Amino acid sequence: MSIITSTTRFAQEPVRRRRPSGFAYIAPALLLLILFFVVPIASLLMRSVLEPSPGIGNYVELFGSLTYVRIFANTFLVSALVTVLSVVIGFPVAWLLAIIPNRWGSILFAIILLSMWTNLLARTYAWMVLLQRTGVINKTLISLGVIDQPLVMVNNLIGVTIGMTYIMLPFIILPLRGVIKGIEPGILQAAALCGATKWQSLWRVLIPLALPGIASSALMVFVMSLGYFVTPALLGGTANMMVAEMIAQFVQSLVNWGMGGAAALVLLVATLLLYALQLRLFGIGRIGQEGQ
Amino acid sequence: MLLNFERLGMWKWVLTGFSVLVAMFLLLPILFIVALSFGSSQWLIFPPPSWTLRWYQELFADPRWLESALTSVKIAIIVTICSVILGLLASFGLTRGRFAGRETLRALFLTPMIMPVVVLAVALYAFFLKVGLNGTLLGFVIAHLILALPFSIISIGNALDGFDRSIEDAAVLCGAHPLEAKLRVTLPGIRHGLFAAAIFSFLVSWDEVVVAIFMASPTLQTLPVKVWATLRQDLTPVIAAASTLLVVFTVLLMFIAALLRKGFKS
Repeated sequence: MSIITSTTRFAQEPVRRRRPSGFAYIAPALLLLILFFVVPIASLLMRSVLEPSPGIGNYVELFGSLTYVRIFANTFLVSALVTVLSVVIGFPVAWLLAIIPNRWGSILFAIILLSMWTNLLARTYAWMVLLQRTGVINKTLISLGVIDQPLVMVNNLIGVTIGMTYIMLPFIILPLRGVIKGIEPGILQAAALCGATKWQSLWRVLIPLALPGIASSALMVFVMSLGYFVTPALLGGTANMMVAEMIAQFVQSLVNWGMGGAAALVLLVATLLLYALQLRLFGIGRIGQEGQ
Repeated sequence: MLLNFERLGMWKWVLTGFSVLVAMFLLLPILFIVALSFGSSQWLIFPPPSWTLRWYQELFADPRWLESALTSVKIAIIVTICSVILGLLASFGLTRGRFAGRETLRALFLTPMIMPVVVLAVALYAFFLKVGLNGTLLGFVIAHLILALPFSIISIGNALDGFDRSIEDAAVLCGAHPLEAKLRVTLPGIRHGLFAAAIFSFLVSWDEVVVAIFMASPTLQTLPVKVWATLRQDLTPVIAAASTLLVVFTVLLMFIAALLRKGFKS
């Protein structure tokens, strides 16, 4: 509390009140959140142990059935694959974006933002059309003589992986650009002066310095991928279902709220654990800084 | 010297070449959709045999497309207004408040942003079934508001953090009522945060699919739900036309945002 505020309040208010704690400001948003976020989610999770009969039957079924376990494994695999691909493809771009002269950098930056802000369904539709049997990619490859039969790239893991990587790339590039921008160039200069080759500078100085940022954005992309619904559902088909689609199926087609709640709880716990890990390792960091 | 573009030598070209490829990977699918929407082929043959506006005619001839677009706009505008107001109040409380559990509450407010959306969608769907809010405008607004609030709180909170509070105190010292000082000094001071909050909130609501799929009814659906439902049937070029309009809309919004940012800087 500065001197200014105390004197003004003294001048303003003949009756000295305690400064309000500011909690009242939060009340409207908090009420909304408790009523329409905390309560619905809590009651959904409750249903997983109450319906159809009290107990952990739903969880036993979820982890006991090969079908469901396979869906969990599938989700984990796709998310890991998408994360690795996004990091490998995204790192060089982030690096260039951090050091490139402004004019070209802003064009590249605008392209990344445009793809990020374009409607998710429109982007997924583009890949559905591009990857189909008679799509441009197959036709081009056939006319070039690379393949003689069209590749099957939709309704399988290839399509999901391509579509998801496309969506996740900006979430790697933008935070990493900030991380690399924040690295002191003098350190790299010192490495070069001490006789390090470019490869040594890259692997033993630049990448280790960027590693916390790489790990943190990779973790974020992994968590986002775990819960993705639209793109896997449209590009993967039912044979390669991921967890989010399974939850929707339980609720919408099977009207099995117990199982839906159980699967939701597993996804939620995985997500929150990974975020807790991220907070522990990297602090609040750049959450929500994308796209600014 | 890996952080100096001019002194990268050969690597400069490798990095640039690779980045150009990635930029093409990001940009081409979007341009491809725009091109297809003017193509005459029902089967999305590329390059199209001839050019046509037929798909746009079909899009505008079907009242359901227009209706769902209007619904989307209506919901997004209401969500934007509520999100900025609630976010502003909450940010004030979270930035300046002194009460127990402030950090816990901040974490709670940001949770919807990191949650798998499908969990929220299913939970709200169950809850709204009980209270009869499914398929209503209010239901849509509430659901999207929950998702938009974190963005609003982050944008406005960052702006408030960067605002020097002693300016507001000076206004009070010069005889302004504390509320008047907030409205006439602080609010203009954080206006870039307010605009960012508004744009983010609008986009969150406008683009949201997953919750909307669960909230929608045959008589009330948003544009993304309409696209989703059509996509599940076939890959008609009408969707390419709708997507193109969405891309144009996005470019416009980005343009406005860029202009605003320039305006704030000057």
